[in-house]
Amino acid sequence: MLGTAVGLLLLLVAYPLLWLLLGALGLPDSFGFDTFTRAYARPQNLWPLANTVILAVGSGLLSVIFGVPLAWATARSDMPLRRVVRACVALAYITPPYLTALAYIILLGPDAGYLNRLLRTVIDVRSGPFDIFSMGGIVFVIGLHVFAYAFFLTDAALRSVDASLEEAAQLAGATRWDLIRRINLPLVAPAITGGALLAAVDSMALFGPQAILGIPGQVAFLPTRIYGVLGGYPPRWGEASALSLMLVVLTCAGLLLQRGYLERRSYITIGGRGVRVQLLALGGWKYPLLAFCLAVVLLAAIAPVGVLVMAAFSQSWIEPFAVLTLANFQSALFDDQVAVRGIVNSVRLATAAALAAMMLGTAVAYIDLRTRIRGRRLLDYLTILPLGLPGTVMAVGVLQAFIRPPFAIYGTIWILLAAYVARFVPLATRGANGALRQIDPSLEEAARITGASWLGAVWLILLPLARPGLLVAFLLVFIPAFSELSATILLYTGGTEPIAVAIFRLPDLGRRAVVAALAVFTIAVVMGVSLLLTWVSGRTGARQVP
Amino acid sequence: MAFIELRGLTKRFGSHTAIQDITLDIAEREFVTFLGPSGCGKTTTLRLIAGFMAPDQGTIHVAGRALSAPSDVVPPEQRRMGMVFQNYAIWPHMTVFGNIAFGLRLARLPKREIASRVARIVAAVGLEGLEDRHAAQLSGGQQQRIALARSLVLEPSILMLDEPLSNLDAKLRERLRDEIKALQRRTGITFIYVTHDQAEAMALSDRIAVFDRGRIEQVGMPRDIYDQPVNLFIADFMGQVNRLPGRVVEQSAGLARVDVAGHVFRAVPSPGLASGAVTATVAIRPEAIRIGPAAPHDEANQFEGTVTQATFLGNAMDYSVDIGGAILRVQGGPQDAHAAGDRAWLTIPVRRCAAMPDAN
Repeated sequence: MLGTAVGLLLLLVAYPLLWLLLGALGLPDSFGFDTFTRAYARPQNLWPLANTVILAVGSGLLSVIFGVPLAWATARSDMPLRRVVRACVALAYITPPYLTALAYIILLGPDAGYLNRLLRTVIDVRSGPFDIFSMGGIVFVIGLHVFAYAFFLTDAALRSVDASLEEAAQLAGATRWDLIRRINLPLVAPAITGGALLAAVDSMALFGPQAILGIPGQVAFLPTRIYGVLGGYPPRWGEASALSLMLVVLTCAGLLLQRGYLERRSYITIGGRGVRVQLLALGGWKYPLLAFCLAVVLLAAIAPVGVLVMAAFSQSWIEPFAVLTLANFQSALFDDQVAVRGIVNSVRLATAAALAAMMLGTAVAYIDLRTRIRGRRLLDYLTILPLGLPGTVMAVGVLQAFIRPPFAIYGTIWILLAAYVARFVPLATRGANGALRQIDPSLEEAARITGASWLGAVWLILLPLARPGLLVAFLLVFIPAFSELSATILLYTGGTEPIAVAIFRLPDLGRRAVVAALAVFTIAVVMGVSLLLTWVSGRTGARQVP
Repeated sequence: MAFIELRGLTKRFGSHTAIQDITLDIAEREFVTFLGPSGCGKTTTLRLIAGFMAPDQGTIHVAGRALSAPSDVVPPEQRRMGMVFQNYAIWPHMTVFGNIAFGLRLARLPKREIASRVARIVAAVGLEGLEDRHAAQLSGGQQQRIALARSLVLEPSILMLDEPLSNLDAKLRERLRDEIKALQRRTGITFIYVTHDQAEAMALSDRIAVFDRGRIEQVGMPRDIYDQPVNLFIADFMGQVNRLPGRVVEQSAGLARVDVAGHVFRAVPSPGLASGAVTATVAIRPEAIRIGPAAPHDEANQFEGTVTQATFLGNAMDYSVDIGGAILRVQGGPQDAHAAGDRAWLTIPVRRCAAMPDAN
């Protein structure tokens, strides 16, 4: 049983990655470094590389500008509406970024965008003044999504700074400004850097906004370039693999740097036990800071989600609230073939992927925690690996692995399932590991010595006790799988498209209002499941298992 | 042939050898304790007997049947043994009844028989009225009883207990200790008990096996191990002891003379002392030393010294006595106490002095 799980894991994670490497070496047509060097001799590929780096740096900087003041204000100050601001950051984080991009087309499209039209009543220009289909626009929209990393890491670090550190500084004569500048910020500097790097790494992987805003604006990034290379005829596998490897290199560099920062320079051990947090009285600064925080969450969450909701209930995309209607939901949820098929496919895929990933993750966690099998560290590493890989990269590997015998499943929905399981098995493994770690092995041993077989002990003792934690693992996978786009876009075929593809493709078919309704539906599902997740994990945390 | 036979058991974890060459016989109905500090291999040995692991070398036979060998291990569920874990391992998702009935249900016994057997054992361990409670809500002492009942209801031939009292407070510990002893007498089950507490081991056991660094150092009845430890480690582990390093002046079969800072002690050489040993440590328990105002006429080691410290302990007096070059700890009765500064005579019977190889 454990053996089957290991085999499946090798097939789903290691085998595609192997094909990624082989593809970059020119296989199956040739063998050597030619493909690789040829790929990077093309100027059409160098620009996307440069753009990707610019995007990463820009998003990383933006994440600090947005994330750090918000984290400080909500964690350590007496600013009003702190909970609201935090909730909005969470909303910005769970909203699939391609939906944010879609919303910003409605808001800041150069001609028809609401805000641009509003501004043109004051400023006299024919188009604009803002053009979201530009490098600046893309960095801005992606920054509004990924700043959550800087926010959450800084927030956690700030909450673990004990008030005694600040009180000691105050006794030594420090003013409030000194406290922030000389105590708080230096203490959490590693977390800020780490968060910014994580934001930069994630920004490079976000195919959705890169494509939705970049393709019309003719700004190419590595993921969109890979999409283009594979979309042509004949698809150039070698080139796509070579570009993917470059994306892997950039990602790994960022992640290694991030780990190094957090580990070497961490002044704070985040134990969360007995930390007393002192809230700083802001006085007159309260309202300027609040205004900044509200502006950020307005741009990141309220405006994009709001405009999608408005569009979804409006008859006209251009004139919101002119005529309110439910017709868009009627067609998105019942009438429109592509949309309905997308919903059905997404529900089926996300459920199946979450189940499969949960089972695989449980098996890996079991092997890690309960056995002394040789090579279990390697297995552990294999299940963490996909976490650092952009969806596009994973898809390039999966595509090459499963388009040919012996596992030719391209063209069926199974290849999407394979890709989702491979991408999200790290989340499930982490969840399952947390669940199993809480259960003392002696509980199973007691069952064995009282007459239960190995299977009996697992089935009657371990799994019932781990159930809430395994539900967490299930939900952790379900949420991203439900709205997955960046791997899906390379793997779907007619009839197997999930929601994200429907949303991505329908605007071209001229059905924008349906898209808005579908987007609102997706956000609602993701939000609902996330709330369920928070509730379930809160309960498991409180539960005492000896 | 003994009931349980451990032969040359060795278990390694990576480069660390947890136990090495453990050989021991245990008789049926015997109460044997594995005693030793943490990390000495006693729990590993217990888990090998339970069948949770395979030995790297050696075999385990019970009632003539081979249960463990490096290549072949009978799984725990087929050994008819019971085990009480240090943390009790009560299943928190089941009621008290569910915990106790677990093994009976797996054996597919008829419902009525399960009910009656559980009822009997619940009464025997004093858990009446708690059957429907969820096990995790109960106190440590109650969980301990559930763990005992869960094992005993299956009428095992061997019951293993891994530090079962270490998580309880002192008063409860003493009461449950007596209950466990009574239970063993009543049921006639062979008990293997693991502890690091020597008082617990002496109070409970028919025999004690003292473990140190993966080996059994000594096996014997509690009294023998206390009075005649084979080395300083065991002497120390079993209770307070004076350790007086000295030079061997003379050694014969039953007697050694050891010079400790100019005082010659007559002592019984321990089996571990080599016949030509140059140095030895004299080990004397504080309560073996009689303290008095004058020397009685008696065949014993006698020294005069000065009391440097006298501490009243309620039921006893604890002294430090300087005999010139060596300070001895002495335990005396609470009556006719000596005060610090008093001159006093110490009398130590020769058979209570052991000449041992120096600690390494």
